[in-house]
Amino acid sequence: MRKASILLAALLVSLLAVSVGALAQGSLAIVYDVGGRGDLSFNDMAALGGERAVRELGVRLTEVESASTADFLPNLRALARSRQHDVIVGVGFLIQDAMAQVAEEFPNQKFALIDGFVDAPNVMSISFADHEGSALVGALAAITALENGGDTVGIVLGIEIPILLRFEVGYRAGVRWAVDRYNEIHGTNKQVRVLYTYTGAFDDPARGKTAAEAMLGQGATVVYQVAGGTGLGVFEAVESAARGQGKVVGPPFAIGVDSAQDYISPGFIAVSMVKRVDNGVFEAIKRALDGTFQGGAVTLKLAEGGVAASSVEMVELFFDEAVAAGAKTPEEKAVAMAGVRAAREAVPQLAWDLLNELDSLIRSGEYVVPEALDRDTAEYWRSVLSTY
Amino acid sequence: MDPRPVEQRELEALSRRERQRQLRGTFAGLAEIVVALVIGLFVGALVMDGAGYDWKLAYEGLLIGAFGDQWAIADTLASATPLILTGLVFGLSARAGYFNIGAQGQMIVGALAAVAVGAHVSAPPVMAVTLTFLAAALAGALWALPAALLKATRGVHEVISTIMFNWIAHYTALYMVFNVLNDPRSAERTVRVLPEARLGAIIPGADMTAAIFVAVGVALFMYWLLWHSPWGYEMRIAGLNPSALRYAGASPLWSVNLTFILAGIAAGIAGATQIIGRPPTYALYGDLSNVRNLGFDGIAVALIGRNHPLGIILAAIFIGAMGAGSRMMQIMAGVPLDMVRIVHGTVIIALAAPEVWSLLGKFLSRGRARREAASTAHSKTVQR
Repeated sequence: MRKASILLAALLVSLLAVSVGALAQGSLAIVYDVGGRGDLSFNDMAALGGERAVRELGVRLTEVESASTADFLPNLRALARSRQHDVIVGVGFLIQDAMAQVAEEFPNQKFALIDGFVDAPNVMSISFADHEGSALVGALAAITALENGGDTVGIVLGIEIPILLRFEVGYRAGVRWAVDRYNEIHGTNKQVRVLYTYTGAFDDPARGKTAAEAMLGQGATVVYQVAGGTGLGVFEAVESAARGQGKVVGPPFAIGVDSAQDYISPGFIAVSMVKRVDNGVFEAIKRALDGTFQGGAVTLKLAEGGVAASSVEMVELFFDEAVAAGAKTPEEKAVAMAGVRAAREAVPQLAWDLLNELDSLIRSGEYVVPEALDRDTAEYWRSVLSTY
Repeated sequence: MDPRPVEQRELEALSRRERQRQLRGTFAGLAEIVVALVIGLFVGALVMDGAGYDWKLAYEGLLIGAFGDQWAIADTLASATPLILTGLVFGLSARAGYFNIGAQGQMIVGALAAVAVGAHVSAPPVMAVTLTFLAAALAGALWALPAALLKATRGVHEVISTIMFNWIAHYTALYMVFNVLNDPRSAERTVRVLPEARLGAIIPGADMTAAIFVAVGVALFMYWLLWHSPWGYEMRIAGLNPSALRYAGASPLWSVNLTFILAGIAAGIAGATQIIGRPPTYALYGDLSNVRNLGFDGIAVALIGRNHPLGIILAAIFIGAMGAGSRMMQIMAGVPLDMVRIVHGTVIIALAAPEVWSLLGKFLSRGRARREAASTAHSKTVQR
């Protein structure tokens, strides 16, 4: 008994010492979604932001992965109880319930939630203008299909949560804008249909593959994946379909999401809709340290660097991240980057031109991308945008 | 000299020897567990050390995360709650001689029933909770029944049928979550159960609810049933020697049905505990992630607990502690979750190995006996 209490005391002292040390330089904690590290997407992007904070702000980083949704609450509590962290970041919409509860239990602890909303003064709810980024890649997808004699594009999604509806409608809007623009330029009357599937999972590549195969079977030239780990199956389906036709570069193409995923299937991913989750995480800790942290909703838009179409430089950066995660080796980089460049060259020039045109229209506010965060609005836009 | 008659002395000596033998058996069992635990932890430490993590700090974190304060203990028990029940599913069935791995599916169906009833039937709190548990138990039992009937009437092996029913339950649940029980405002989960059907946290700041008492209660009932009731006696005889059961005039059909139904009840309740007895969501997630793997973890729990209801309670607390401790392994020692799982896996395998070995031996020898019986019967017919 005495031994135990001595041990406990020693432990408390060491914890105290650690916490004093941590507060001196700042400390950031990240709770990942069930998909976890190594998804080469959403969670890894958040980690990238954390690593940047370690490098540039000199903070200490504590990371916790969640084995199941039941772990969110105890994970957040364990971090909040330690009182070591200037801000605790929750990655992903599914953490919302747990964060709402913990924010109430620990009113003096600052929290940040990526991709969700908690109405509390100590929670900064960070979201991204996914619809704007999705519109960009939608424009590229539509023109790539038309220039290759196709008339179909696809989008494979995860669970039908509000944020994913926003991706889908944004993508449709981009497709529609580009088709109208194309018809205007060429004096034609073309149409492009959008196939969509909600797979119901963010961590099931097999289901992503099945969904993408069905779309390719119906003539889709480009398939956009918005499904986290499930989306890795989309890349697999597109690459094997192209290779089956003896091609080493698309079409058909896939489009990546969240991080610059182009290198995952080099030659067969045209572009990625990059969601700068890293910027969101970095912003949260930066604001917590410089005293500008405020609860409430913050949307990082296209014009503010919240979302973007991937560039070759970004892909290189994320490749290095994949090397660090052990998913790739440095030797593979030259081959992969050559494939990435080849894919970009195989995408018609007009597609890139219209993507850039739409980008500047959105930035200047001349084109406003419709936003849907519920089923009814999504259904409305589905019918409006596909009626020619 | 002892004035008592010789017979009495002999009898006493006999019972003393019997007691000693039992004691030795218990000690051997305990020693087996301790040795297995040490081996598992040692291999886990080697793995962590090899990957460059501080294994001492990691194990310290495991202990603190699992038992460090009242919240940690409560979280351990919260994680143990469903595992006690799914552990009973496999353990009870194994006692009766069946390899029932249908806990996952029966639990999913139980969770669905809990959502359906808990979210829609308004009643006073105690009544609402009771109704929800009953509905979940009924659903779990019904889901277990086809496998039992197929086994009893057509000889379909329960491993095959329960695996298939697990998948049917999985995809049925996905359909139900998105199309029938869905929350129009939150598509990632079902509707939440009504407040009166929810069990609140017993210690504020931790997830443990009264569901733990339900789970322990079911385990104690199963213990009574197996060792202190005629039905349990029949079930155990069926497990030890099915032909003896037939010879004694009991019906194997009744025995298999009873076993599967009881197991299904436990599984169904396990599903309900995750819906109404685990804050803060009180709903089933669209990717079923709040019931994920709990049914399969129950197999490990049962094996570690030697298929004994009381052993299963302890084993579930042990596995729950590993789960609760894993967050502090990550937070304190920076060991990533994948590595934590590898360590857990080695410990679980080391603990479960002896029971797997004996179960395997039992199944193999029974199969051999059956084949031999069949071949002698065959040769007799030929001779005739």
